[in-house]
Amino acid sequence: MKVKIAHLYYDLLNLYGEHANITALVNAFNKKDIKTEVDLLTVDDKKDLDKYDFIYIGSGSKENLIIALNDLIKEKEQIKKIIKNNTYLLSTGNSRILFGKYFELNKEKIEALNIFDYYSEESNQIVGESLMNLKEVGNIIGFQNRGTIIKQKDNHLFKVIKGHGNNINSTNEGYRENNFISTYLLGPILIRNPHLTEMIVNDIIKSNE
Amino acid sequence: MKVRFLIILNKLITNVLKLMGKNASVFPASIILPFDKNILEKVKYPSVVIGITGSSGKGSSTKILANILKQNGKKVVWNKSGSNVKNAITTLILNNTSIISKKIKGDILLLELDEAYLSKTFKKGMLTHLVLTNITRDQPPRNYTPENILNKIINSVDERTHIIINSDDVLVNRFTLKHSGKITTFGLDKSKYSIDKQSYKSLDGAYCPVCSKKLIYSYYYYGHLGSYQCNNCNYKRCIDVLGTNIDLDKKEIKINNKKVKIPGNVIFDAYNTLSAYTAALVLGLNDEEIVIDYKESQEKSLKLDNRDVYLVESKNENNISHLLGLHTINSYKETKTLILGFDHVSKRHVHNDLSWLYDIDYTELDMESIDKIFIVGKFRFDLKNCLLNNNINYNKIILVDDESNLTNLIKENSSGAIFVTVCENMIEMTYSLTKFFNNIRKGDNNES
Repeated sequence: MKVKIAHLYYDLLNLYGEHANITALVNAFNKKDIKTEVDLLTVDDKKDLDKYDFIYIGSGSKENLIIALNDLIKEKEQIKKIIKNNTYLLSTGNSRILFGKYFELNKEKIEALNIFDYYSEESNQIVGESLMNLKEVGNIIGFQNRGTIIKQKDNHLFKVIKGHGNNINSTNEGYRENNFISTYLLGPILIRNPHLTEMIVNDIIKSNE
Repeated sequence: MKVRFLIILNKLITNVLKLMGKNASVFPASIILPFDKNILEKVKYPSVVIGITGSSGKGSSTKILANILKQNGKKVVWNKSGSNVKNAITTLILNNTSIISKKIKGDILLLELDEAYLSKTFKKGMLTHLVLTNITRDQPPRNYTPENILNKIINSVDERTHIIINSDDVLVNRFTLKHSGKITTFGLDKSKYSIDKQSYKSLDGAYCPVCSKKLIYSYYYYGHLGSYQCNNCNYKRCIDVLGTNIDLDKKEIKINNKKVKIPGNVIFDAYNTLSAYTAALVLGLNDEEIVIDYKESQEKSLKLDNRDVYLVESKNENNISHLLGLHTINSYKETKTLILGFDHVSKRHVHNDLSWLYDIDYTELDMESIDKIFIVGKFRFDLKNCLLNNNINYNKIILVDDESNLTNLIKENSSGAIFVTVCENMIEMTYSLTKFFNNIRKGDNNES
């Protein structure tokens, strides 16, 4: 068995040590004697997303988000398909705004991928440590540093124990649909939460059996 | 009248604090500014007011430029203390302003300036020159993204300010697209220290600011600094003052075909010297007049028993700074032991964001010559985790839970020279190591 991992826009959306999530995942599989193959994908690269077991996309500056969006929009149907097929797609930090209906940028409304029903608005900068709860694995720690909020009705990923939710005062954070997981927690979430990594690794192994 | 009164008050508070043995570089202005927040606009400036800013290297560049100018007979008012926020700048300026004429008592006002608060310190047009050393990831909870800081700097000046920029920095070079005033650029030529391929994974500004296509680098120095161009629209760095013939072992480079000494043996030293040299040229000095000389440190080398102890200064929340610290450690080829760790992420804010740790390529520590790595401080578990994630040998890592026993642990469990990475302000940032250093400095190698 060889697990295939893609790091999407590794050279654009990498603001907070995000590549460490890939290393964490590779190390976790290697510990179980499972080989991995990592593809670094970016703008204009051919993207056969359905060949991957795990796809990761991290945070970026405003301008980099736009460059990534202009490329990713070409893969919209593929993304819908892989989410339906239960492929793991982890989106951390502000990359999650790309998957909603639209987001604000410098007070301008930008059409996003429109895969999910949520949308994002600009806000004052929200910075701080967070403690969340994921029902399958327990508490999750992380850090947020963002200038947006997300208006979302359902499919929440985490219960907020400490810190901010999708909207400043909401008690839920993140979005989940099948194995699409998105959270405002940024950076090395898979390193700081090995139990979450273990859950993903075990799931991927199971789905490959 | 009010301005003169505030100048007197500022001088008075400064002198009282100095008599009490307190740091007087910042506090006086915190009393003065509430009386008149625009006081900096009410004093008379010399014909040259030059600021030096950037994520790193601004303090060293300022010091080098101050020395060049002083050697040429200029009376320079500058912030030697390194305090670079508005309160410190205000305190400095008022302390150097005549009570009677309200004129700053110098030919040149030279200031290291905090990159995030430039516009809050000086109104547009007040700086005659601004040097920009680099913009890298730095203090994300305070600065957010490098682009955010760059835009703040760009919006702090107008065409009246002559900009002197490090064009090797692909982000900084964006000034050439936005600034309508004079611009002078500097950069380093390819050398044996440049690399063709960048293993560093967290590049900024990797795409062309004009057409959004990926930039192609012919070489890198560190992070996103190097020589780049866009093959789609031909956007590229253009250098006015090029540093060539870089020889870090001899601590020298050539500028305008003249050998110039640099203060240390890392590439930062070449950049800092080049930035100061370029600024001196812009200020009208010629190559003969620009003399750079460094006194070798007279500080006695530190020893633990017979083992050399070296301090490697790195700035927290700035992965490039830490990476360059690792380069310094790597340049020592003999057996060595490392001490890493810190007690506070930042001295400027309360947040404990550790994401920057994962932007540091700790695989550089995966080398035979490292005997042991001791990890101290409040964040030792995160740091250990980070090293393990970079596949550093588990058996080389020693987590120090009882820091009072650090010296003995090092003596009994490790060999070779000792490298200690400390943050910019050792006392505040790595309190746990101060006792270790104090003991060594006193020649007392035993725990007390």
